[in-house]
Amino acid sequence: MSLSASALLQSLQRSDLWSGARLATSSVSGVASGFPALDAVLPGGGWPCGELTEVFQARQGIGELTLLLPALAGLVAEDGWIAAVAPPWPLHAPAWQANGLPLERLLVIRAEGQETAWACEQLLASGALSGLLAWLPEIDTRQLRRLQLASESHPGPVYLFRPAAQAGMASPAPLRLTLDAAPDGLAVTLFKRRGPPLAAPLILKVKRPVRTVRRTARRMTPIALHPVPVS
Amino acid sequence: MLWLALRFPRLAVETLSLPPPAVALHRGRVAVADEAATVAGVRSGMRLAGALGLVPGLIGRERDLAGETDALHRLACAAGEFTPQVSIASPDELLLEIGGCLRLFGGLPPLLARIAASYAEQGFARQWGLAPTPLAAQWLARCAPVDGPPPALVDDAKLRAAVAPLPVGVLAVPERTAGRLTTLGVWRLADLMVLPRAGLAHRFGPELPGLLARALGEVPDLRPPFVFPEHFRDGLELPARVEDAARLLFAASRLLAALAGWLAVRCAGIQSCHLMLFHEGRPPSRVELGFASPTRDPERLQRVLRERLDRLELVAPVVSLGLEAPEPHALPGTNAVLFGHGGTTRLAPVVERLRARLGPEAVHGLTAVADHRPEQASRPVAEPAAARSSEAPSGPRPLWLLPEPRPLAEENGAPCHEGRLRLLTRAERIESGWWDGGEGLGDVQRDYFVALSPQGEWLWIFRDGQSWWLHGLFA
Repeated sequence: MSLSASALLQSLQRSDLWSGARLATSSVSGVASGFPALDAVLPGGGWPCGELTEVFQARQGIGELTLLLPALAGLVAEDGWIAAVAPPWPLHAPAWQANGLPLERLLVIRAEGQETAWACEQLLASGALSGLLAWLPEIDTRQLRRLQLASESHPGPVYLFRPAAQAGMASPAPLRLTLDAAPDGLAVTLFKRRGPPLAAPLILKVKRPVRTVRRTARRMTPIALHPVPVS
Repeated sequence: MLWLALRFPRLAVETLSLPPPAVALHRGRVAVADEAATVAGVRSGMRLAGALGLVPGLIGRERDLAGETDALHRLACAAGEFTPQVSIASPDELLLEIGGCLRLFGGLPPLLARIAASYAEQGFARQWGLAPTPLAAQWLARCAPVDGPPPALVDDAKLRAAVAPLPVGVLAVPERTAGRLTTLGVWRLADLMVLPRAGLAHRFGPELPGLLARALGEVPDLRPPFVFPEHFRDGLELPARVEDAARLLFAASRLLAALAGWLAVRCAGIQSCHLMLFHEGRPPSRVELGFASPTRDPERLQRVLRERLDRLELVAPVVSLGLEAPEPHALPGTNAVLFGHGGTTRLAPVVERLRARLGPEAVHGLTAVADHRPEQASRPVAEPAAARSSEAPSGPRPLWLLPEPRPLAEENGAPCHEGRLRLLTRAERIESGWWDGGEGLGDVQRDYFVALSPQGEWLWIFRDGQSWWLHGLFA
């Protein structure tokens, strides 16, 4: 059986096929991340929907949630629900509210161990949420595959936060990225995506609690800022 | 009027919940055989020994007439899910007036499909017939195949033609009358309908022409409606001692179906109910079923029950079950909507499942409280709702707040967290709470700062009188 050249060319035009050197175009457009530089390098032009996105980080508190907040706020504005499964610390309601996430659309699920992956699977399979954030420090490849399958009925993005040490593990997630602190922003390394791996990390200016950071050269000594101890 | 007659031909054996093949006996003879036994050739009226000869592994148990009456009442209660007008025709038939609720269920085929699914799930074989008069529907049901396809719609014009080919056996008249009809050469209702009524009344008494007149709608046929009980409390004897909680599911699901029907008739929903498991010589154990919002959806009830039973350890074998519902909440039916309510209706069932397995407090929403002390400003709530205070906090607040402040090391008076921290803001003084020192967090006097660690972590730290503390992360 021979395939004519035109038929081959035609099949290469399909949106679900991509050549290694080219960024895949997705039939389902992604959720705009709020960072044009990031959208440009994500297949589908934003965070993928109905698929897993794995976020690896060695440290907490570097701006990992602030990176996702513009996208999540957009989902909530369209009347969608956001769930946080097994967050490592309690969510501070006033801060989430101040960051544009109305609390009436936010659900927190406390789970431990194997129950965490189970809870995620139930939530994804229900298709009732718009976005899911989950912290899974001890998930294995088999469970990841189950989640990837369940997320097919989920209309929005799924972010799985995992320790950086597990980035080497095999995973069915089509988008995997590492977050690191950078001197003037957040360094995002897309080490797996539908397309060629990104050569250099992307430095994004995420929103910080304080407008400007004074350079180290002009650093004031902490002593000068030291408060008067409360008697 | 459109009457659906439901006949449960194997009610006697299904009530006993025996593993197939099984028969229900009456005075040593087979009264009703289940599907497996019927296929093997067991017929009613056989002696048990003869039936055992056909099916060696057959289980026979004396039929439980009181149990059958209870089961029929339970089935009538479950039918409340479809129509409020139900009546019982003993010993094994139900009549449902469905003419008034066709539109609600989107027409006749979807309604019949739901009815069939509901009884199949409860484990009852059914025959059904559809006619404008209750008696004709019963006759059609008695001749319909077991678990057969949906019956054809029979209107007034076609009624005569529809019942004509039925055998006279459907009349359920005394044996003597039936024998005399056969002697006359009357085999089918068509033969009977052509005979003059006056002559029939003269020969057989007034009952026989009366039956025909009622079935054909010539005289009214009044059926006593099934009266739904004021309070729901139902119990079920188990055929054998059950030691595995998962095996209770089937029996309990029959009780739940009855509860769902009862709630539908009362336009009510329940937020909790309890299942009692009775043991021999021990106090009963109680299983609470809780729901996120008042409900009467049988699927939601079943799902929560399954989740609870899966994780239940029985303290002793169970001999019978009881289901009690507290005073129900009013839950009017919803109007059909064009657009969804932002997925809320789909979210409630999954939240219930999570709560059933992880515990009721494991799934919660958040609310912001107008309190300056950070620990008090965020509170979990069972139902996510819009925050009452929209007042923005006076300074930057972190997305994560540690449940307990963590002490920080100090180096020359400067706080350290894997290296010296850089303070990026002026002090934000929080001094509040002197009034609830007794039980709450109490009086706090803290100066908060946003700090940046050498590794690039954005932290929220404070200093109280003595030392530095880490309290949050700007994730």
